[in-house]
Amino acid sequence: MRLARLWLGIVVALALLAPWLAQNGPRDPVASALAAPARGLPFGADALGRDFLARMLVGTRLSLGLAGLAAAIAIGAGGAAGFAGAMLGSTADRLWLWTTNVLLSIPSLLLAMLLVAAWGPGIPAVVAAVGIGGAPVFSRVTRTVVLQLLGAGYVAAARAAGGGRLWTSLRHVLPNALPQLAPLAGTQFGWAFLGTTTLTFLGLAGDPALPEWGAMLNAGRVTLVSAPRLVLIPALAICLTILSVHALTAPSEIENTAR
Amino acid sequence: MAGLLSQGLTSSEQAEQLRRRLGYDLPLFQQYLHYLGRLLRGDLGVSLYSGQPVSELIGAALPSTIALAGASLLIAIPLGALLGGVAGWGSLPTFRRLAGTLASLFTSLPVSATGVIGLLILGRLAGSDPPSSQTGLWLPAAVLGSAASGPFARAVQAGLQSTRRSPFILAARARGLRQNGRLIWHAARPTLPAIASLLAVEAAFLFAGTVVTETVFSRPGLGRTLVRSILQGDFPIAQAIVGLAALIYVATQVIADGLARSADPRLRERT
Amino acid sequence: MIEFEPLPGGLFAAYAHPLKPNTLMVLPRLFRRSVLFIPVLVVACSSRDPSLGTLGYGLTLAPTGIDPHLNASVELGIPLSSVYDTLVYRDSETNGFVPGLATEWEVSPDGLSYTFFLREDVRFHDGEQFDAEAVRANLEYTLDPEHASQKAASMLGPLLEIEVLDPYTVALHLEVPFSPLLDSLSQVYLGMASPKSLTTWGPGDYQFHQVGTGPYRFVEYLQDDHLTLQRNPDYAWGPEIYSSRTAQIETITFRFFEDVATRAPALESGAVDIIGELPANEVERIAQLPDLEVQQIPIPGQPLQFMFNTELAPTDDVRVRQALVLGVDRAAIVSTVFGGYSPVASGPLAGDLFAISEEAAFPEYDPLAARELLGQAGWGGGTGLELRLVVPNWGSNPEVGQLVAAAWEQLGAAVTLEVAAGFGPLSQARGEGNYHAIGMNSFGTDPDLLRPFFASDGFFNWSGYHDPRFDQLLTEGTLESQSAQRSSIYSDLAERVREQWLILPIREYVNLVGVNRRVEGLRFSPQGWFPYLIDLHLRP
Repeated sequence: MRLARLWLGIVVALALLAPWLAQNGPRDPVASALAAPARGLPFGADALGRDFLARMLVGTRLSLGLAGLAAAIAIGAGGAAGFAGAMLGSTADRLWLWTTNVLLSIPSLLLAMLLVAAWGPGIPAVVAAVGIGGAPVFSRVTRTVVLQLLGAGYVAAARAAGGGRLWTSLRHVLPNALPQLAPLAGTQFGWAFLGTTTLTFLGLAGDPALPEWGAMLNAGRVTLVSAPRLVLIPALAICLTILSVHALTAPSEIENTAR
Repeated sequence: MAGLLSQGLTSSEQAEQLRRRLGYDLPLFQQYLHYLGRLLRGDLGVSLYSGQPVSELIGAALPSTIALAGASLLIAIPLGALLGGVAGWGSLPTFRRLAGTLASLFTSLPVSATGVIGLLILGRLAGSDPPSSQTGLWLPAAVLGSAASGPFARAVQAGLQSTRRSPFILAARARGLRQNGRLIWHAARPTLPAIASLLAVEAAFLFAGTVVTETVFSRPGLGRTLVRSILQGDFPIAQAIVGLAALIYVATQVIADGLARSADPRLRERT
Repeated sequence: MIEFEPLPGGLFAAYAHPLKPNTLMVLPRLFRRSVLFIPVLVVACSSRDPSLGTLGYGLTLAPTGIDPHLNASVELGIPLSSVYDTLVYRDSETNGFVPGLATEWEVSPDGLSYTFFLREDVRFHDGEQFDAEAVRANLEYTLDPEHASQKAASMLGPLLEIEVLDPYTVALHLEVPFSPLLDSLSQVYLGMASPKSLTTWGPGDYQFHQVGTGPYRFVEYLQDDHLTLQRNPDYAWGPEIYSSRTAQIETITFRFFEDVATRAPALESGAVDIIGELPANEVERIAQLPDLEVQQIPIPGQPLQFMFNTELAPTDDVRVRQALVLGVDRAAIVSTVFGGYSPVASGPLAGDLFAISEEAAFPEYDPLAARELLGQAGWGGGTGLELRLVVPNWGSNPEVGQLVAAAWEQLGAAVTLEVAAGFGPLSQARGEGNYHAIGMNSFGTDPDLLRPFFASDGFFNWSGYHDPRFDQLLTEGTLESQSAQRSSIYSDLAERVREQWLILPIREYVNLVGVNRRVEGLRFSPQGWFPYLIDLHLRP
């Protein structure tokens, strides 16, 4: 637990401080290809002679940032859809049900890939696709929570006291829904991180020089044998980050599944 | 129909003509209906580049992917059952926690990273021999299989935990049934529906996982075909592969549902 | 206590120790047993078929079309130059031409008529007889404007008429003399296909049913999956440049390895016996492995290059183009990406074959001059300079593109790099016109290969530069037959290309070919890319 917080703390701090910490630009060749780690180049150089530490540092920003954006999309779109489905009555609810079921019939990673196929490779496509891929699950949970709350006594009482429907929901349901949904945001981030790093690993981000951990992991495969650090470092970074996120969010997840 | 794009498009007018010819300018809904119609006839379309039927292209790539998915499943199910069993029923709390942690680990770690680490470890163990050349099928299957075992293990664990303390089990133990396989089987039966539906999730997981695993281990298969079709913009191929995955996913869910109902009579009465 | 026991194949089986009572296996024994089957399944799937008579060859690019008459890719020539024979063949030792399907030929004094006397004992793989009519059918198929041949048609130049004089004599009549003609007729793009198959299948589908006269038969091709060739047992009319009379390997299967990271593993695992375009920084390690060796084959033709778009600002300004060339350390890029294996390119043609004068060479890296030029052109400090570079996904273009983009960013520009996944997407990007530099090049043994790139109406004139002086030089080059004179004409052209800074030349191609030592006799044609598959044999 503590380790998880420590690692995430480090990673977030590095993300914020990256531009000042990196001695070289992530795209500038500064040494010969695959130069071994040395003074001034703690992680050595990659296959194009770029400072690998600088790329990892900038990668912190990119990897966390892209995942965060995707998670925000999933939470925003999913939450809004679930809320609307629960609130707006049977037609909207049935539409929501139908849409969600269609989207859920495809594994989320493949759904994301299909969306990238339709929009063409690129960073915006990857982020949007992962976000939309994660939205159905979140919208389902939102809807469940909201429905539960709507059934609670005090909401009916507030309505009986004369409050309008929408106003009642915003005042009573929303504040009570948020604490239940908040822990799931962490899980969403975990899945979003997995999604974005996987899609960039597959080369769907469009920019071959992108200093993002998943893309760097892919680029390092060519020199797997001659320069294993170029894959080992991004792999470890990705694993530790995902593990930390899951360690911090898993307990609440188990609670929710047990219900 | 010969490869439309094999000569490349040299102007945006040509691109517009192509769009119209392929029906891409129709409203999405209509396109979807057309697609469904062709699908029912078994026509998955043709590659935009070579004009070769998508069904042939997918058919060529399918065996390698099936081999990987099958081998991974053969690893995932026993491994997941083992981990879940220990986590849910093991007598020593240390083992329970260890198994549970392992299951969590397997679920959350991406195959891209674990696969690469697996290759590196194998390289170290094998000495000077380059790792990626000698893995055959077993290393990718082990990596993907262990990743897929995670959710399965968690479901088994949850199921066993909830039934372990249930009255009928306590009664059975009181009657003298010792903690052994038969008891566990009786405990596990009510959880089988949940586990069966998890198998459907496994199928989905494996489909997505094979895409990445094939890339990591340089294996041919649907994963490579899918990624290539996305990068090139050869949409019919991408559409068909994802559609096939969705079909299999839904089919496994239906089968799992059926299995669940036959295993647990309580479910049969519900609609 | 859960015990773990290692099984063959490195798997572990978990089982419950029977004497320790608190251990439990969750699922029935069925699953336990199935675990034991895994190594068997695995071993069966991973072993490679060692039967002699089969060869695996790795291709590194899945061309969008593989009809040599219509498509320009060199990758298609790797298998197909053994499916087709040509009228003449180029001899790399003498640099002259030797008989192929034509036993002899005569050129009229005015250079306008070439008469070919054909062999009478040649049969196509479908049983049809090869004759003068077949030659005509092939050339007409190639020249048909509706077929939109990307390379072969332009290789025929000013061909006016094909005249069948008798069943085994054919005359080609040109509008003006055309010195590259024999070189063109020696390449797979003008290989002789069965007219019956050409008409049966038509231009779109013929590529999947190719029929030639060569030492190997085309069996089947599935896009990006495999292409299979089978030995032609009736082959008895090979040119003298072939060491063997007939093919010695029964089946050759070509598989595709576009992902660079998959090539070395494929070679090392034995999935392929031969594969080209190995990444330069893996070559040293591979060459040291006991079963493998690496050949370095220089490829004549154009270098790896980026063409500037002269029709789009800011690259429509010649000073900007010059700055973008001088601002790139080409030598450093070549050293980083290609190790010591490639010479730095210094002009639009690569290879000693062309004897281009040193005076036409592109200058070396000069960042100060580059910055000054940008300032003169109104882009002081590079502010506001936005550039878009489109590169194909083959030949390490993406890596070179990244370093070129980084160099231009050092000059202050904002660069977008786009990798086109194949020739189709690349030409689409070209069609959209939204690029300041685009990567594309061609290969060959005659300098006339430049014509599609620099003629005003050239198919590959992607820089959009139209100059009648260029057209004049290109025509003169084909009218002239003396090689020394031709060299000076093309040197002149190269100088003018440099004057206008139309290209950024990076490296001269050297194909790094990995070969399994069980294969012997691997030789390549003068064009560099194409192996003489007929000479390959497996060590007993």
